[in-house]
Formats: sequence, structure tokens, C-alpha cells
Amino acid sequence: MRAAALIFALAAASAGVALAQSAPAPTQLAPNPAQAAPIPAPVSAPPGPVSSTAESVYAAAKPRLLQIRTLVESADRQSSIGSGLLVTAEGLALTNYHVVSQYALEPSTYRLEYAAPDGSRGPLKLQAIDVVNDLAVVQLDKPAASFFEFEPRALAGTLPKGERLFAMGNPLDLGFTIVEGTYNGLVDYSYNAQIHFSGALNPGMSGGPTVTVDGRVAGINVAKQTRGELVSFLVPVEYAVALIERARRNAPLTPADARAEITRQLTDWQAGLFQAVGDKGFRPSTFGPYRAPESAVPWLNCWARTNADAIPKPRALVATTNCSSRTSLFIAGDLQTGQVDFTHSLVRGVDLNAFQFAAFLSRQMQPVWLGSWGKKRLTQQRCHEDFVTFAAGTDRPLLRAVWCARAYREFDGLYDVSVSAVTEDRDREALVSRLNMRGITYENALALGRRFLGAIEWAPSTKTAGGK
Amino acid sequence: MGAKHEDGRRQMIWVEILSRHRDVVARHRCEGAEIRIGRAYDNDVIVDDPYVAPRHLRIYRSEDGTLIAEDLGSANGLYADDGADRQPRIVIDGDRRLRIGRTHLRIREASHQVAAERTVVPTGRLWPRALGLGGAVIALELVSAWLGETAEPQVSRYLLPVLLLSVLTLAWVSTWAVLSRIFSGQARFERHLVIALAMLLVFSVYEELCDVGAFALSWRVLADYSYVGAWALFATLCFLHLREIGPGHLKLKAGVVGGLAAAVIGAQTLAQSEMRAWMTQQSYLHDLKPPMLRIAPPQTDAAFFADAKSLQAKLDRARKEEPPVSELFSGFDSEE
Repeated sequence: MRAAALIFALAAASAGVALAQSAPAPTQLAPNPAQAAPIPAPVSAPPGPVSSTAESVYAAAKPRLLQIRTLVESADRQSSIGSGLLVTAEGLALTNYHVVSQYALEPSTYRLEYAAPDGSRGPLKLQAIDVVNDLAVVQLDKPAASFFEFEPRALAGTLPKGERLFAMGNPLDLGFTIVEGTYNGLVDYSYNAQIHFSGALNPGMSGGPTVTVDGRVAGINVAKQTRGELVSFLVPVEYAVALIERARRNAPLTPADARAEITRQLTDWQAGLFQAVGDKGFRPSTFGPYRAPESAVPWLNCWARTNADAIPKPRALVATTNCSSRTSLFIAGDLQTGQVDFTHSLVRGVDLNAFQFAAFLSRQMQPVWLGSWGKKRLTQQRCHEDFVTFAAGTDRPLLRAVWCARAYREFDGLYDVSVSAVTEDRDREALVSRLNMRGITYENALALGRRFLGAIEWAPSTKTAGGK
Repeated sequence: MGAKHEDGRRQMIWVEILSRHRDVVARHRCEGAEIRIGRAYDNDVIVDDPYVAPRHLRIYRSEDGTLIAEDLGSANGLYADDGADRQPRIVIDGDRRLRIGRTHLRIREASHQVAAERTVVPTGRLWPRALGLGGAVIALELVSAWLGETAEPQVSRYLLPVLLLSVLTLAWVSTWAVLSRIFSGQARFERHLVIALAMLLVFSVYEELCDVGAFALSWRVLADYSYVGAWALFATLCFLHLREIGPGHLKLKAGVVGGLAAAVIGAQTLAQSEMRAWMTQQSYLHDLKPPMLRIAPPQTDAAFFADAKSLQAKLDRARKEEPPVSELFSGFDSEE
């Protein structure tokens, strides 16, 4: 559960903390934003005096930075803001998908606009998106006088931990800012590659560049961990280079095709992810008299918890293992997808009778989704439940299994599926297992769910003792 | 003398003054060929009703021996039963009521046939029954609470619901006793108590059976729609109380109670289906029971996943439907 909270916190960070700001930003900015911001907002200035390196890095980067705004078409006011960076002479700019997601999903309600540090503004055309890595390429209405280059060592993956980096963008609509921090390699236990950057990223800086001392891009600002201090995340530049290449090669994304494109990218991505889960397979893990499947993929983050030390002494002991992927894809402000997690809880009655134990178990079987999302994007959940026996072997306990699924309204063929089971062979001991899969095709969910339930069995030593 | 005595008894006539609820308020024994009824003091039966004439009515025996009531020319006239038509004279049988002014009368001869005597059920015999039923209800309630207990037991968690149940039951029974007293003249508290407790016991057993059955048979409908049976039981309870108040109009009472129950069931079904459409999560069976109570044979894994697969078509249909209108407007500015 701790891991789930972690993911949720991360998701909340990448969604952009909601800070109501309806007034347009001051457009006339002094050359040095640190001097030009007498606002007592510590977030807008890096800690300590601005180093001379930062000064020169910012001076070089300034004409290549952008603020990307999403405006409500009818009101002509900004609804959300982010940052961007110019990457080609023709005027292609890079930003996060989540910065332009409102426009991508609702092109008739929103429009995109850029604001440069020199005060110029203009419309943006959405050129290409990569929802998996949270990137988007937009086209300016004019060519770029100068643009960013990518750091070769970042592309080769040879940046050393501890290297000094500078993140830039327009946090909280306060003005363009440069923040110093350090490169800390790729995040562990993540299916999607993400760079751990130890520096202060703030809402509004999403889509901005993080550069080396030479001013070359080492990563794209994307998220921060709300539970930590200075724990921020960057998108590796290899994905940015690939997307720019795709944007140049292909025709621009038409608004009508955006959803189909997102569907295609999500479908391909989940196929790879669940292929990996299937290929690595499950290894059995022992829980009291039972054995339950644990995925062997390396990118799951596992936590255990127990109520054994609770006061007053619990009347049933619960030992829980929960493994979840840190990866969560932002699709819209009210829709994130791609998480996988499974939980096994061994429940043992201490001084409960069979009925009381069953009542206790009922509480363990409550449905759990990772967050609850609106009806706008997801259909109602539908469930099937019954007692299930696996024909394949006699070394398996009888299960009471529940299959629940809901469909994504906008993305054909994708579903959230939760499959849970509780063993039904003992009066005062049971294993409660659950596998949650978000943004998965139905076929993959069926195949994986069946493997998961089919791998719940008696531990070898209890094989003869158990069952009826 | 015997013949004369018998003749005298035959001649004897009872004039009964009734309340609006047909209770006898006063009863006058009259003898003679003719009885006069009115407000004046020269009548055989004096009625203290300002709407009755001083000389309002006379009762006499006709040629063939039947009794006739005749209006003596009053302003307000003579009416039969609840009839609206003024009658100059009415042939009397023992059951017909007469109305003069605002007074109801019933005139019976000594030979009027009365119903056979009822067997006396001493109320003392009802109390043990009520106590037994009450004890059973409370015991079932306590056992059910105990079987669902997963935390440290606390006396208050057992005591409060029992007290609440007792108070509600007493209030319910008292209400019926008062109604009974008003409409039938007798409170019959013990009988109403026995009816209420018996139905409460049936209801408790029914609820437990639904709960266990839904798990044992793996049939969620039983838990989801247990309210249908519950309302039917409630309607039966009301009907039994009504029957206790008075044995008349049983079909009408059953119809009214049944109709109301059907309306309530319909309303709840509607509310539940609207609630389901509104909720994002479809519930599944929340109450597990011990494995030994399972009756339904398990599905094979193939059958289970075939059923799971069949949900896909339903979800795809739901995907195409318009999403329900959101009640909450959640538009605010954000920075990313």
C-alpha cells in the first residue's frame, strides 16, 4: 500500500499541482529573472546566489525557451501552462504531452499558444505526441533563430551521477527561471526509463529543458515527487530525439487523429509491458500453507506489511505483500493508466470462529482501484464472481474469484481489470490475492489473470493436509 | 302464565342508541304495541339530540307482525343505514340502523339471533408466547452480531441495538393497540405484540437465509433483492394487525396493503437501478461465509474465464453510450 501511495503521489505530481491562476503572466521580463522577481516566492529562485555558470547558461538558453499555454477557446484565457524548448531551425519545439493534453483530447475547446522570453507570442500546431514518455512536438508560426542541441553523453547514457545540471522553465507563471541540480541516473523499478534529477522542479516547468554546463539538453522536465524534497524526474533525451525525427518525417497530427494515435501508442506499449510480464513469468512465493505467484519482472517495487504488532492485539493476523510498478502514464487530468500491481495477503484467525473469520475476510476482499476516476473517461465496472476450481491439478485450493473490468470510453480496446481471489479450503486461514491491470487489452488481461489465479496452490508440505 | 310470559318476551323490544363507531351507547327496554322516540319527555325513549324533533319517530307492529319505523313529520327526517334518501317509513330487521337527526339507532326484538359465544383466550396465555418470541428475536440478533464480530467485543455494541429494537417494537405495537382501541373498542395489546414479534422473528431468519444463501448458492441476486421479500413480510405484518382490529373487509385490507407494498418495492427497485447507473463501481458480494456453507458447485477455470470474457461485449456496448451527465463542474486552471 505504501508503494501504491508512492505511485499516486508521483501521478499527482506529473498531473501538475492545481494552482488556480487565471491572470495572464506579466510578459515584459527583465533579462535576469532572479532580479526581476521581487515576489516573495522562494520557488522561483534557486537556493543561494546565482552562480556565474548558471548566468551564462541561462543567457545562452534564453532565446530558445518557451512558455506553452493552453487557452480556453471561448474565454481566450489560459487554462494551464507549461514550458518548451526550441529544437530545430524550422521552429519545432519540444514539450510534455501532459502540457498539451487538454488540446490533444479536446481540440474544439482549447487552443495552444507560446510566449517567448522576449515577449513574442503566437499560435502552436500539435505535430506529434508520445504519451508513453510524456513528450510532444509542436510547430511555431515562425522559424527559430537558435535552438537547443542534445548532450551526446546523455544520448549514450554515460552521464556520471552527480553531474551538475540546470533546469529551466516558467514555474507557477512567475517568469522564466533557471534551477541548479544534479543528475542521479535512472530511477530504479520503473518500466519506463526516467531520470532522477535532484533539483527543484515546480508546476509550470514541465516540458522545459534540463541542460549541462555546456547548455546541451540532458533531459526534459516532467514530474516531481510530492512526498520528497528536490526529487524530480526528467524524460531521457533519446525519446525526445526519436519523437522529433518522427515529427519531421510524418505529416502533422490532425486533431481528429489524436485519440486514435493515443490508443495505438497505449496498445503497443501495454503489449510490450505484458509481454515482458509473461516472458519473465511468475515465481511461486510461499504464504503459510499456500504458494502464490509473484512476477519476476525487475521493475516492480515490493513492500510488505503486517498487523502483528497492532494494539490491541488483532484477532486475525494479516501479512500482506504488495508489488506495483512505478510507471503511470498521464493521459488526462482525470485519467492515468499503465499501472500494474498485485497483492497477496495471508489472513490467519487468532481467536475468531469460522463465521467471524469469514466476516473479517469479507473486509479484505473489498474492491480496490488505484484511485477512482470519472464516468467521463471510464465505463461502469462490471464484475463476474463465482467459486472456481482449476481443472489442471489437485494441488490447488478452491477459490472464490472475482473478475471486475471497466472500459476506456475514448480508447477502443483498452480496459482496467482487477482479478481477486480468496481461498475456500480452510475455516480460519485464507490467502487473499489480487492483480490489478490498468490500460490493458482484454485478451492480455484474460491470459494474465488466468495464469495468476492458476498459480495459487498449496505449498508442497501442506499438499496432503489441505483441502476437502 | 307461561304463554303470557312468552308473549311478553316476544313483545319486548330493545332500542339501542349507537355511537358513530357503532358501539352501543345506551340501550332501552320497551314494551307495548307502539314505541315513541323523540326529544320530548312524553316519549318512550328520549334522545338528547338537538337535531331530533320532540316527537320524531314511532315504532309499531304491522298486520303481519313486522316492526315498522315511521317518521312523525320531523324536519330532519328518517334515514336507513348510511343512506342519503329520506324515508317516510322503514321496515326493521335487527341489523339495519336508523338515523334521526344526528343519532344512530338500532332496534332489536327479544328474539334477535346473536352469534355463538367466542372461546376466551386468557391474556395470561399470550404472555409466555410473546416472551418466547421476543427472546428468540433477541437471541438471533445477538448471535448474528456475535458471528460478525471481528474486533474486541464491546457490551454496548450488543446492548444498544437490542434496546433500540425493543423500544421500536413497543412503539409499533402500542400504535396498533391504540388504533385497535379506537376502531374496535379493544386494545388487544398482547395479540398485537405476538403478531409483531412473530413477524420480526420471521424477518430475522429471512435476512440471515438471504445472506447465507447468496454465498452458499453463489447467487448474488438473493442479497441484492432481499428487500422484495422484506417488504412482502412487512405488508403481511400490517395485514395481520389490520385483521386483528376487525375481521371485516379482509379483501380490501389485503388489497390496500399489497398495493402499497408493491409500490414501495417498485420505487426501491427504481432507486436502486438509478443508483447503480450513477455509481462507478458495480458491487459484488461483500459477505463471505465459512467455506463449509458452500452448496454451489465450483466453476471450472475455463468456464469462469469464459464468463469473464463475455463481459467484454457488455463493456464495449457501455463504451459507446453517452456518459452520464456529471453533476460536478471541475474546471480550474492549472500549471504543469
